[in-house]
Amino acid sequence: MSIITYSGITKSYNSWPRGNSVLALDGFSLEIEKGEVFGFLGPNGAGKSTALKILLNFVFPSAGTAKLMGREVSDEHARDHVGYLPENPYFYDYLTAKEILWFGGKASGLQKSEIHARTEMLLDRMGLKASCDRPLRTYSKGMVQRAGLALALIHNPDVVVLDEPMSGLDPIGRKLVGDIILELKAQGKTVFFSSHILTDVERFCDRAGILVGGRLRLVGNLPGLLSGAGSLEDVFMRAVGMTEERKI
Amino acid sequence: MIRRLWPLALITFREGTRNRAFYGISLIALVLMGASFFISGLIMRDVGKAAVDMALSTVSFAGLLLVLFVSIDLMAKDLDKRTIYMVLARPISRRQYIVGKFFGISLLIAVTVLLLSVFAAISISIIRWANPDYFSRFFWGPVMLSEVFIALSLILLSALSFLFASVVSTSFLTLVLTIISYLIGQSLTSVKALVEAPQASGITISPVTLKLVQAAYYLFPNLSLFDIKIYAAHGLAIPSSFIVWTLLYGLVYIILSITVAAHLFAKKEFP
Repeated sequence: MSIITYSGITKSYNSWPRGNSVLALDGFSLEIEKGEVFGFLGPNGAGKSTALKILLNFVFPSAGTAKLMGREVSDEHARDHVGYLPENPYFYDYLTAKEILWFGGKASGLQKSEIHARTEMLLDRMGLKASCDRPLRTYSKGMVQRAGLALALIHNPDVVVLDEPMSGLDPIGRKLVGDIILELKAQGKTVFFSSHILTDVERFCDRAGILVGGRLRLVGNLPGLLSGAGSLEDVFMRAVGMTEERKI
Repeated sequence: MIRRLWPLALITFREGTRNRAFYGISLIALVLMGASFFISGLIMRDVGKAAVDMALSTVSFAGLLLVLFVSIDLMAKDLDKRTIYMVLARPISRRQYIVGKFFGISLLIAVTVLLLSVFAAISISIIRWANPDYFSRFFWGPVMLSEVFIALSLILLSALSFLFASVVSTSFLTLVLTIISYLIGQSLTSVKALVEAPQASGITISPVTLKLVQAAYYLFPNLSLFDIKIYAAHGLAIPSSFIVWTLLYGLVYIILSITVAAHLFAKKEFP
């Protein structure tokens, strides 16, 4: 069963008042199955974040449809069981990690006791217990990233969407995120994450896709993608070398 | 619906109360209230009227600063720094976001005006205790009603800022449009009276100007309606029909502004 479905998605951004538009996604289609860990690769500006933002309904496709757990992404209940970590997350300056987790739990319909239990567990897991009552503006970049990950997981979602989850993390933070992805995989959760770090994709993913110039250039399971190629880097470089940035 | 709106309203309120600007505004209000003791000592007559007018003007001024520098910032940060992602990634629609955020900011305005009103009451009480002869026509009712009207006009101004934020792309533009609306809203009645009877002032008004002012009169909120400080200061009776119609006018304007803002916001993208 497909948990995430993109069908013929095209997305162009119009630059007002100059009038020129940039094509971010061009006929993008992809299906991700339940329990899969899917790595989304591509050079900067390939359209990875746009694809993730369409899934969360932050931006609207110019053409095509996207579905999450069988619901159109425009339906807010499509996000009932989805956790999301944006690239370079930013939270309210004066709130604490505990307070944003309370918000995340409440907004997702969790009971008070569940919020308390999961908050304690996640703060401990993310190494934020000692600083959980400090305003988030006093956090380092890595701490904000870990708080964001805790927020994405507070309601124990079935689908976890992570946009560059390793960005700005030190080796300890990267190991933590990697371990969490593997735990989610063991729990049968679906994980869809974008990354520039090819070794992470090789370590964690069942399948991967390479997006270039808004088009899905390659998609498949890891052994299939790597067969006949030396490494994922070779596969990636070959895929990227095929096209150039497209503008309309 | 409320189950999803309440958490957003509450974190908006908390974020607002912890903003440094909030403390700065409260401090300015306290200083102004304190200054009114000294100013009242310098006035030879109508001390009571001056004390009430100064206290209510301070509440109104500090409330305006709150709307311009805290409430607009609370919305602007969500859009500029994309903190809105943490809200919209939840099962919360854009329309619900606008309503939840607006509830939080309205709560912040209401609690702030309540707090400032307590300061104002203390300030008036002390001056009244020192100068009882000047307070023979003083009543708390009109003072409290004036404070309710101040809160309502600030919430209305905040609703307008939501409307602007749903249309324009920068928080600076939202701030400018809100200030312009405030200035127009405060002076509309006087300007309309002036252009409709120019002969009384010995000036000539072109038909285009007249139409523009008349159009603005119906488009922008008439904020001067909510300014009943003069009634409170002079201890004058306020007709109940005026109270009811002004409250209704404010509520209808707020509901309309937020409805249109939510409709426009539903089409906004956050790349």
